[in-house]
Amino acid sequence: MNRFLTTLVLLPRNAGVLVLRAYRAVISPLYGDVCRYYPSCSAYALGTVQEYGLVVGSARAALRLGRCHPWAEGGIDDVPLRRKRRVIVTSFGFVIAASHGKG
Amino acid sequence: MDLLGTILWPLKWVVEALLVAFHSLFSVMGMNYDDGLTWVLSIVGLVIVVRAALIPIFVRQIKSQRKMLEVAPQLKKIQDKYKGKKDQFSREAMSRETMELYKRTGTNPLSSCLPLLLQMPIFFALFSVLNDAQRSQAGVGPLNDDLAKSFGNATLFGDAPLHDSFASQWTKMVAGQDFNAVVMWIAAIMVVLMTASQFITQLQIVSKNMSPETKASPMFKQQRIMLYLLPLVFAFSGVAFPLGVMFYWLTSNIWTMIQQFLVIRNMPTPGSEAAKAREERLARKGKLIATDGDVIVVEEPKKPQRQQPVAKNRAKKQSGPKK
Repeated sequence: MNRFLTTLVLLPRNAGVLVLRAYRAVISPLYGDVCRYYPSCSAYALGTVQEYGLVVGSARAALRLGRCHPWAEGGIDDVPLRRKRRVIVTSFGFVIAASHGKG
Repeated sequence: MDLLGTILWPLKWVVEALLVAFHSLFSVMGMNYDDGLTWVLSIVGLVIVVRAALIPIFVRQIKSQRKMLEVAPQLKKIQDKYKGKKDQFSREAMSRETMELYKRTGTNPLSSCLPLLLQMPIFFALFSVLNDAQRSQAGVGPLNDDLAKSFGNATLFGDAPLHDSFASQWTKMVAGQDFNAVVMWIAAIMVVLMTASQFITQLQIVSKNMSPETKASPMFKQQRIMLYLLPLVFAFSGVAFPLGVMFYWLTSNIWTMIQQFLVIRNMPTPGSEAAKAREERLARKGKLIATDGDVIVVEEPKKPQRQQPVAKNRAKKQSGPKK
């Protein structure tokens, strides 16, 4: 039951992950390397959606896009990780509940 | 008004203002008020204003590219460190270190996606202006009823409405109704021109303006594949978009092509083919300035002068006494 609930909770962000993966596969290469940050904005968006969920993650990604402009300094700007990690990320990028713990 | 409409509103206003301004300019200059050509030229004018406004961003990018010459040794060090390591972790670590170097030295050559993101709403704004004009609907600002009607009814070659697309005619053709072949021809030709200009732009960069290090990277190979996929993208959008929007895109593509040509000629990437060509060109004119400020002069290859035949004895004398 707990497991089912977690999957349900994680569903929106996994949908977001799917969209972002599609974007990174199809649209990103169209204009090549342009981002002034590492990781690039779309990678950042992917990471932040995985970490914080669709709503908060999207908002954080939007802030990052706002930071990324030709006059920005750029450089390294990682997704801040939560202190307590409750999820694990598959190689594709999907988020699943951590297998250890209660589940 | 929906959310998207609210966001696009100011841009639509600007797009309309520019279109109307150019349209009245061309009308005053004696072109037909309702002719498609006048409206197409107005779209071209719009592109020129938009792209000219983006030049400062481009110049900034090139300036930092020039500064990259100074950090080239450090960049080389990073590249050597990860040479031949193709796994994901090494590659990520490499781009991380490269980005760190850029930031430390203030030489980030990348422009962010803002120039692209900026152009997209303009594109959509033009699209919706055309869409509204198709129904002879007035725009949000300077494009009043009268002008919208003129824009909506404007035709190229007397027969091809600017708001029409290949797809709409195709549906009619398949349904066995009257269709407009001129629209289809113009759309097809524009797709070809767009593909060609994009190809030339990319080929210029790839064949002349890339350092050997970049050419070896996996990102480059990916881009290479996209070069061949792009025509498909153009063909797809060329089918769906109205002719007016296509003219915007095509003009913009041509602008990029010329801009790229000028940049590659005058400010090439250090270490690339074009940089060598430029150095040679400048050296021949005696204008090449080295990093320490000296003028480098490449000696013209001297004309091979025929060596005078020398008798054995004299040759011995010239080379000094034998020991």
